[in-house]
Amino acid sequence: MTMIVTAELVGKQVEMAAGRLIILEEVSFAVVQGEALAIVGASGSGKSTLLGLLAGLDLPSSGRITLAGEDLTALDEDGRARLRGEKVGFVFQNFQLLDGLTALENVMLPLELSGRADARAQAEALLQRVGLGARLTHYPKQLSGGEQQRVAMARAFVTRPAVLFADEPTGNLDTRTGALIIDLLFDLNKEHGTTLILVTHDERLAGLCDHRLRLEAGRIVAEETQA
Amino acid sequence: MAVKRHLALALRLLWRDFRAGELHMLLAALVIAVGASSAISLFTDRLQRAMTEQSAELMGADLLLRAPRPVSEHWLMQAEQWGLQQQEALEFPSMVRFGEGLQLSGIKVVAAGYPLRGSLRISDEAYGAERAADGIPPSGEAWVEARLLALLGVAIGERITLGEIELQISQIVAFAPSGGDNFAALAPRLLVNRADLERAGILGAGSRVSYQYLFAGEPAALQRYQGWLKPQLEASHRLVDVREARPNVGAALERAERYLGLGSLAAVLLAGVAIAMAARRYSERHLDVSAMLRCLGAAQRDILMLYLPQWLLLGLLGSTLGLVVGALAQVGLFALLHELLLPVRLPSPGVAPALLSLLTGMVVLLGFALPPILRLREVSALRVLRRELSPLPLRAWLVYGLALAAMSLLITRHTGEPMLTLGVLFGTSFALALLGLFAWFLLRLSRHMRQRVGMAWAYGLGQLWRRPLASVMQILAFGLTLTAMALVVLLRNDLLDSWLQQLPAQAPNHFVVNILPDELSRFADFLQAGQIDNSQLYPLVRGRLSGVNGRMLADVIKPGDNAGGALNRELNLTWSADLPIDNTLLSGTWWREEDRAQPLISLEAKLAERLGVGLGDVLHFNFGAGDELDVRVASLRTVQWDSLRPNFFVIFPPETLANFPSTWMTSFYASAAQAPLMAQMVREFPAVTVIDLGQILAQVRQIMGQVSLAVEYVLIFVLLAGFVVLYTALQTSLGERLHEGALLRTLGASRQQLRSAHLAEFAMLGLLAGLFALIATECIAWLLYVRVFNLPPALHWELGLLLPLGALLIGLAGYWGTRKVVQQSPLRVLQSL
Repeated sequence: MTMIVTAELVGKQVEMAAGRLIILEEVSFAVVQGEALAIVGASGSGKSTLLGLLAGLDLPSSGRITLAGEDLTALDEDGRARLRGEKVGFVFQNFQLLDGLTALENVMLPLELSGRADARAQAEALLQRVGLGARLTHYPKQLSGGEQQRVAMARAFVTRPAVLFADEPTGNLDTRTGALIIDLLFDLNKEHGTTLILVTHDERLAGLCDHRLRLEAGRIVAEETQA
Repeated sequence: MAVKRHLALALRLLWRDFRAGELHMLLAALVIAVGASSAISLFTDRLQRAMTEQSAELMGADLLLRAPRPVSEHWLMQAEQWGLQQQEALEFPSMVRFGEGLQLSGIKVVAAGYPLRGSLRISDEAYGAERAADGIPPSGEAWVEARLLALLGVAIGERITLGEIELQISQIVAFAPSGGDNFAALAPRLLVNRADLERAGILGAGSRVSYQYLFAGEPAALQRYQGWLKPQLEASHRLVDVREARPNVGAALERAERYLGLGSLAAVLLAGVAIAMAARRYSERHLDVSAMLRCLGAAQRDILMLYLPQWLLLGLLGSTLGLVVGALAQVGLFALLHELLLPVRLPSPGVAPALLSLLTGMVVLLGFALPPILRLREVSALRVLRRELSPLPLRAWLVYGLALAAMSLLITRHTGEPMLTLGVLFGTSFALALLGLFAWFLLRLSRHMRQRVGMAWAYGLGQLWRRPLASVMQILAFGLTLTAMALVVLLRNDLLDSWLQQLPAQAPNHFVVNILPDELSRFADFLQAGQIDNSQLYPLVRGRLSGVNGRMLADVIKPGDNAGGALNRELNLTWSADLPIDNTLLSGTWWREEDRAQPLISLEAKLAERLGVGLGDVLHFNFGAGDELDVRVASLRTVQWDSLRPNFFVIFPPETLANFPSTWMTSFYASAAQAPLMAQMVREFPAVTVIDLGQILAQVRQIMGQVSLAVEYVLIFVLLAGFVVLYTALQTSLGERLHEGALLRTLGASRQQLRSAHLAEFAMLGLLAGLFALIATECIAWLLYVRVFNLPPALHWELGLLLPLGALLIGLAGYWGTRKVVQQSPLRVLQSL
């Protein structure tokens, strides 16, 4: 059983004018490769901050995080960027597609950044897979919310990441579209053998995951495992 | 990631940004900057080269060496070796006889191929239609100046005697290049063929001959030759470069060129402000993209590699477009100026000014836009989760340091004085900081107004105060824009006025020299009877400056330095009881009544500088025939050489030179209707020489008129740049305004209320910017007048108009620029966020 992500006594605080604000406190857990973990909790409980730390987008104030065997806290920003490029995919609530690029170009982008020669073929294949084969040359503004999220998922999976981080992937979508996206997410997850770590309010989505971490005021208050 | 991949992606992003209209203002600003810069540089460069060619024609060569004896053969062979064309001509005074009549004439001996530049102009009868001559006078013939006919009572076709030969007068010379010798300009000239010189037998051992060596060729070869020749010259040699021989319109043109240069600089700097604002906005709008790229694994270096090529490409594109615009504008300018007296064919646009303009574009772009672009690589990847995360604000020293460096480079290019530039820049930065504080203070004051105005106006004014830093920056930017515009208009008016004052419609257009002392009172009566208002009558005494403080002149000056030609030739010395009206005493005192016969002089300041003499130093003059005089420098004065009145390097007290032979001169204005009077004058006073400056004057006046047109051209560029600044500033805050406007409208604000609020906000901004501009313009104008243009400084009450003008202009522009805020449906705006 290989641990792909571990967190040991992770804490995050920020200095504010009004004093120190504790966002996360002594958070420890581990995620096994190929499993799905949902981080749930109320607004302001520290979910998104934790996601950002696990993905190496930010550094914790204390504690240690490893991603695919590498100690994130020991890497500089460019080192973490490299690791992200190699091991990590992202799906966001607000899709975060580049307006200036077509659907195809958006999906090609991470491959191009890592210098892959077959970027176009790979990106086309994945867009076909998410059902957007006919909309390759459309710009994000010309796509519906659900379609944009499917492009974002194609972009996330195209590098065959070890871990996929998703921040409220259905948060901006209606229930029906959200359900379709969830199905697609888990299908892709299975096909690629990716570890899935997501933050959500959506109980149905959380229920589909192998494990659930419940956060309250920056602390883990419950860890549940799918029966 | 491979460089090729970076470039491909960079190009794609650039193209998309361009199509989305993100880069239009940036590109416009760049095109204006390079357009203004290149139009003016190309224009002045071509004009300068045209003037140089014109002076070459006046001189008959690109380079002229004058010597009292033939020069070393080696010198001429060297010129030939370096591919220079060459010609030799001789000038000397000699008597010409016709029947019983004798006349001292300036003989010019020329050989086939003379002159090297331009051509001789001749006519078939005195004052008849001119045409370019095919060659030179054939052997046995002479071409003469029209006044020789009158002086000798000889007609075309008759034969005159020169030394031992007879020559037939076959043509009238209307124009022949001048070797620059003074006497030749006064005595009527006579051109003869080199083949006749020996037979005439007039050149004896002691003859005063001026040997003139003309050279023409490529500028590089000429320069090389000049550099080689100069150290070998003797004190009696004089080397004249065409640049020194530029015609008298030089001062007016030079000032106009300076003005044009500064005008284009104003446009460039304004464009720089627009570029800085646009780059900031670009950077803000690309933070998300940059964060996303970081998230996907791009290192900081990758981000730079992605954005820098885009900006370099943008810079090249904008600069090239600007150059095309500038080249077209410059062609248009010359078309407008087609009447400008440029008899020579206009040289084609130069490569150097074009390249310099391209460089200007890149300097402006990088100087003003680099810091915000560098900021893009600093953005945190976490921004994809938390939008509010922005990279640290730019380091101020980087932003301002780079902009200052760029400005220094650009200004130095126009002023050529790095120290002055630095001084001006630091002064300006300091003044800007002060004025910024002042603007902030005014903003605070405007806050109190809120209680006394309606809701919409209170909201509009409140907007200014809610973002004090942004508001102060906008006031500075708008203020600078208004300042640049006001300066350009102000300078234009004052420059034109000062030119017109300098050259009133009745500026002297005739010089009369060689008035004999015993004819003096009769001549004065003649002028009075003809109702001709002349300037003072000045005596002329010919003398040569031979030494300074007991040292020979040759030891005092460097060979080849001729101090404006004053040192190696006979000087026209004069005396006067009073300081000439347009001269200004710089130091020393003017003589009093009891000094009338003292050995004193008043010396022109620049000549004194080149001689290295000051008050109290002793100059030694030689008057020929063993007459010598030591005189002490009693005062230094400036001379207005382009005033068209008689001007003198050296003036003596009234009686010091009383014992030396003198003639008199004067200048006056005579209208075309008084032409018969001039003819009568020549008949009644056969000895005098009348020099008609009418044509040159007409040329000067025309050039000034035309240059003022060029000046208006610059104004267009400055205005365009100003509008780009305005528009860019509006765009910068438009997104935020749209959002706020939509929110306010959902909360029940009417369109009218929003419109009033916008108007109030921008009108107040404009008013404050106007006030800023008023102060800045007055300060900068003072500096420019005193340091650059030599104009008397003055307060300009009309600048008060800047306040209402600023309020109106910026109020309306803001009103128009924010109309989208009320045009779009609030729902759409809120949904798109």
